[in-house]
Amino acid sequence: MARVYISRPLVRASGEVEGELVVFDSLSFYGEVDAERGVARGDVSIAGRVVAIRRSRGSTVGSYVIFALKENGVAPKAILMEKAEPIVITGCVLASIPLYDGLPGEFFDPTLQGARVRISPDGRIEVLDSN
Amino acid sequence: MHLTRDEERVLEGEEGWAKAKALEVIVKVGEALGAERLIPIRHAHISGASYMTIGDAGLKFLKRLAEGGVRFSVTATVNPVSYDVEEPYSLPRTRIDSRVVAAQTEILRALERMGAILTLTCTPYYTEIPKSLGLGRGSHVAWGESSAVAYGNSVLGIWSNREGGPLALMAGIVGKTYFYGVHDPLWRKPRIAYRILTNRALDEAEAGVLGELVVGMHRSEHPPLVDAPFMGDASLKEFSAAIGSAGSLPMAYIPGITPEDPDGMLEEEVEVEYREIARRMEELQPPGRPDIIYVGCPHSSIEELRRLYRALSKLGRKPSADIVVSLSRSLFARALKEGLVERLKGFGASFVRDSCLIVSPFSKHNRGVVVATNSYKAYFYLSRKGVRVGIARVEDLPLLAL
Repeated sequence: MARVYISRPLVRASGEVEGELVVFDSLSFYGEVDAERGVARGDVSIAGRVVAIRRSRGSTVGSYVIFALKENGVAPKAILMEKAEPIVITGCVLASIPLYDGLPGEFFDPTLQGARVRISPDGRIEVLDSN
Repeated sequence: MHLTRDEERVLEGEEGWAKAKALEVIVKVGEALGAERLIPIRHAHISGASYMTIGDAGLKFLKRLAEGGVRFSVTATVNPVSYDVEEPYSLPRTRIDSRVVAAQTEILRALERMGAILTLTCTPYYTEIPKSLGLGRGSHVAWGESSAVAYGNSVLGIWSNREGGPLALMAGIVGKTYFYGVHDPLWRKPRIAYRILTNRALDEAEAGVLGELVVGMHRSEHPPLVDAPFMGDASLKEFSAAIGSAGSLPMAYIPGITPEDPDGMLEEEVEVEYREIARRMEELQPPGRPDIIYVGCPHSSIEELRRLYRALSKLGRKPSADIVVSLSRSLFARALKEGLVERLKGFGASFVRDSCLIVSPFSKHNRGVVVATNSYKAYFYLSRKGVRVGIARVEDLPLLAL
C-alpha cells in the first residue's frame, strides 16, 4: 500500500504532480547546483524530478539559482522540505515551482531515492513505489 | 496577511507594475512563512550582483525590473561582482572574457538605474553606510548576504532575515519586508545554549569551524546561544560567515557581544569540547603547499590586513605562494592611506576590490589549485568548485608557503 504524507503547501502546484524523487539531506543551491544543466553535486540530475531536501543551506543567491533553473528549462517538478527557509521560498515564488514543507525526517531517508511520488495541490504526498 | 490601504494600492499597480510585482513577491514569501504583516525597513543590501552567480536568467530579471522604471525607496547597497570594476584583470590566474564584462556591466547599469549605491562589498558593515543611516540596535533591514545577516544580527544588533537575493532587492524597492523571524524579539531569544569548554580565545579559522559544528548540531528554529571566547572581530566575522554558508542560521546569540538580553527562554544546554574544533581543524589543513594565500572572505577588515602585514614582516621575505586580498573599495582607500597597501604589495600581495575568489571566474581556471585561507566560508564554496582549500589563521598562512 502506498505511504501517505501530509505536507504544507508554500507554493501550490496548479494540478497533481507526479515524478521521481531525488533526496538530499542538505543542499546549497548556490555552489552545489548547476543551473545551466539542472544538475546537483556534479552528477545528480534534478531536472523534471521531485527534489526532497531536508534542509537547505548556504548563500542567499540560491533564490536566483532556483529562478535560473526554471528559465533554463531544467527546473525540478516540485521541491519538498522538512522546513523551508526564505531563500528557497523566494526562488520558488519567482519561478512558480511548487514547494511543500513540514515533512518528517524519515521522508528524507536515502532509501526513498528514486521512488515515485504523487503530490496533490493541497499537500498530500503519496509514495507510489520505492526501491 | 493584513495589508494597509497604501500597500493594497501598490499591489493594485497604482505605482507601476514593477513595484506591484515586487510587493506581490514579498507578500507571497511572507504568507508562506506565516507572517501577518509587513514592516518598514531602513536599508537593503542586494546580493546576487555577480554575473558569475546569477547568470543570464538573473541579468534578464534585473534588466526587466530596471526597464520597468522602479527605484529603491530606501538606501540600497550592493554585494561583490565578477571582477574589480576599475581593474578587471587584477585577479591572478583568472581570465575575464569580454562576454563576462559586457553582462556584468549590464547588471551594474540596471542596479544603478534603480538607484543602488554600488558599494560592491559583502561587508556593508565596514562601510560608512550603516553609520550614515543611523542603523543600530533593533534597526530593521533587508540584507541579502548571509554572512552580513549573521554578523548584523549577532554582533551589531541590526536585524535582518536571510533574505534571498531577489527578495532583498524587492524589499528595497517597496521599503518593506514581511514581519517574521529575527524581526520578532521573542523569536530572537535562544532556546538552546552551546558552551564551548575552553579558555583559549578562538582565532578566525577556529571560529569558522565552530560555526560549522554549531549548525551541524542545532535543530531549534530559534538562534543558538554560543558561549565561546572569540578572539576578535575577524573571529566574529568568520563565525558569522560559516553559520550562513554551512547552515542557514540568520544569527547566533553570543554572550558579551550580541547587544540584547537573551534571558528567559533557555531550555537546553550542550557542552562542546575544544578537541572537536581541533579535530576538524586537523581535517581542514591545506592539502599540500599552497599556490595561493587568500584573505578577504568576507571582505577583509583593516585588522586582518595589519595582521597579515605583521606575519609577512616577521617572515621577512616573500612566500612562495601568490598572496590575494579581497576587500571593499572603501576599506582599500583606508588601507592605502595607512600605507598598508604599498607595504603588502612589497611582499607580492595583489588586491582585488569589488569581487573575490568565489564570485569571480577564478575557480573556472583553477581546479586543483591549492588555496590556504583564514576563511571557512571560502573553504566551503571554493572546495565545491574543485579548488583544494585548507584553513589556518592569518599568522600561520605565510608559514605554509615557505
